[in-house]
Amino acid sequence: MKVQKRTGRSRRQPLGKAFRRGLALAAGILAVWLMPCMGQEGPKPDPAGIATGDKTTAVDAGGNAFVVTEPTDKTAPDYAQKKKDFDDYQSQATKEPLAIKLADSVGHVRLATNFAWTLNTGYLVLFMQAGFALLTCGLVRKKNAGHLMMLNFAAYVFAFIAYYAVGYAFQFGAVAVNAAPTNLGGTPTLNHFLLGHGLWGFLGGKAFFMAGPGYDAGSNVLALFEVVFMETAGYIIVGSICERITFWSFLLCELFIGAILYPVFGCWVWGGGWMSQLGNTLGLGHGYVDFAGSTVVHAVGGFCAMALSVVLGPRLGKFGPNGKPRAFPAHNLVYVVIGTFVLLYGWMGFNPGSTLGATDLRISVVAINTNLAAIAGSATAMLFWYWKFGKPDITMACNGMLAGLVAITAPCAFVGPTSAFVIGILAGLVVCLGVLFNDHVTKIDDPCGAISVHGFCGLLGGISLGLFADGTYGAGWNGVGATSYLGQAGRGVTGLLYGDTKQFLVQLMGAAICATWAFGATFIVFKAVNAVKSMRVSKEVEQEGLDVPEFGLLGYPEDAIHATEA
Amino acid sequence: MEKHAAWRDFYHGLQAVDNGYHMKKIEAIIQPHKLAEVKEALIGIGVEGMTISEVRGHGRQKGHTEMYRGAEYTVDLLPKVKIEMFVADSRAEQIVEVLSAAARSGKIGDGKIFVSSVEVAVRIRNGDRGENAL
Repeated sequence: MKVQKRTGRSRRQPLGKAFRRGLALAAGILAVWLMPCMGQEGPKPDPAGIATGDKTTAVDAGGNAFVVTEPTDKTAPDYAQKKKDFDDYQSQATKEPLAIKLADSVGHVRLATNFAWTLNTGYLVLFMQAGFALLTCGLVRKKNAGHLMMLNFAAYVFAFIAYYAVGYAFQFGAVAVNAAPTNLGGTPTLNHFLLGHGLWGFLGGKAFFMAGPGYDAGSNVLALFEVVFMETAGYIIVGSICERITFWSFLLCELFIGAILYPVFGCWVWGGGWMSQLGNTLGLGHGYVDFAGSTVVHAVGGFCAMALSVVLGPRLGKFGPNGKPRAFPAHNLVYVVIGTFVLLYGWMGFNPGSTLGATDLRISVVAINTNLAAIAGSATAMLFWYWKFGKPDITMACNGMLAGLVAITAPCAFVGPTSAFVIGILAGLVVCLGVLFNDHVTKIDDPCGAISVHGFCGLLGGISLGLFADGTYGAGWNGVGATSYLGQAGRGVTGLLYGDTKQFLVQLMGAAICATWAFGATFIVFKAVNAVKSMRVSKEVEQEGLDVPEFGLLGYPEDAIHATEA
Repeated sequence: MEKHAAWRDFYHGLQAVDNGYHMKKIEAIIQPHKLAEVKEALIGIGVEGMTISEVRGHGRQKGHTEMYRGAEYTVDLLPKVKIEMFVADSRAEQIVEVLSAAARSGKIGDGKIFVSSVEVAVRIRNGDRGENAL
């Protein structure tokens, strides 16, 4: 025995050495790879916020600065003109030094206005958590009310932790490379891609733990505004997986969304990643455009929810033996309607806030478009149900409003009021047909309609931007057509109906990539998790209701007659 | 014989306690939306006490189906209100008449009234027995 053991150990030793060497090598490569992420070279972060905003950020209504920088490339054809402009500026500046000082404070105040706008709209988006909690809780059965509230609450907490640690860095760690948020001072410290570089970036790599380069006033405004967007994707899934998921696996889902699923796609579209630069690299319109997140936020959440619902399977008794869907009516319509209105209110931050600045006066158009789509979606859903089933369904009317909101989120800044209304009508139809489709065809159980509202209508939003964008806004978007577009000065993002086929194609492609990524990545990861340990509660727990087995307290304890001991 | 005698003694004992008074229990299961009208009518004829509970059930009418988000569901146990009253024998007939008139809409689902005899009534506060306890 002893001999055998010794032989065994001596045999394993070389393997152990190789393993240790491999580990050291991997650690070395990882260190070299991650070094630039920790480095402080380049622009310095400004945690106090006193160096953010000076004369260079004092711009006119069109976003043009009056400060002229010295041209460096002497071989450029327009060098002589640029040099002359610079010399003119220099002579003006020496003549009027007080004007330059004044411009410093104007630039600072402009950024202050934008900071206040972005933070406050971010707080509105934060309040959407309350709306989601009420909506989803009201839509389920009474026996699971406490469970729903805990899911909504824990979603905020755990997804935030994941986003704080790595998610924000993955999504915005390289935003200054191609998509600097100039309204917030440009966040120059977020300038490194972990994967890819230049116009083909795949993953950001600065500001892990929001520290170092992320410890910056401008970066923190962006972080607050973006983390509440990520949270939105985070609890969209609650509406699909509720009434049957265990708490531990739900926490895994939230960590996955906050750290990987949402930030990766978010980097591609909003962090200056490859999809946003397709206009520059492949000549596809303005690249993939999603103003406030129909796809980046809602479709990612919706298709993640779809994948999780497929992995979990339908609730017990949802489909009869012949596959006929059964109804589990909502237990509190008051919550459902209040929750929907809270969401509408929060959306007034979600969409107009996505300009990242109040100095962009398009915010009023965005706000009106958002409301128009919401009422059109709700009216459509109400009337559709009235016509099809004889009675308008309150929960579907609410879903219709949310569907309109989700669909207008991508195009809200680029379309006019008529298009916004039409997009709302389309969304109302899509959500009604989507709910019936999931119930009768795919047999995917979706208690609150999250897949139809956020998934299907999210894709509709991305695609409808490519149809209805009228070219009045977004000149120079994603670095395309700053001086002129489609032969017209000042023309912005343009859709198929206004003459830009390529924009439509890139929107179709982007929406498809979004659905594939969100569904595919979630399905693979959680199919594996589910194979190791079932993510579902036991049959008995599901029948009793998840409140007590999972959390030890009923959502409505007075409903149960219980003995009190003296 | 012995057994019977014991029972008779017990029964007579109870009657003795109740001084020979007779009482009725009136149980009515009615439509919830008729409760206000019924209560008013009963108070109008001087009924002093009643106990009300929310109950669910069905008789011959068997419930109905509704739609929720495009899927059918059956509501077979309908919400009803149950009224219980304990009254002196002499009042029972009048109360039943007033109650059924007030609760009637003439449609299926109006409910039912049951009357039964009551042997003992005790007021917990002071130990009053029989009709004094009502």
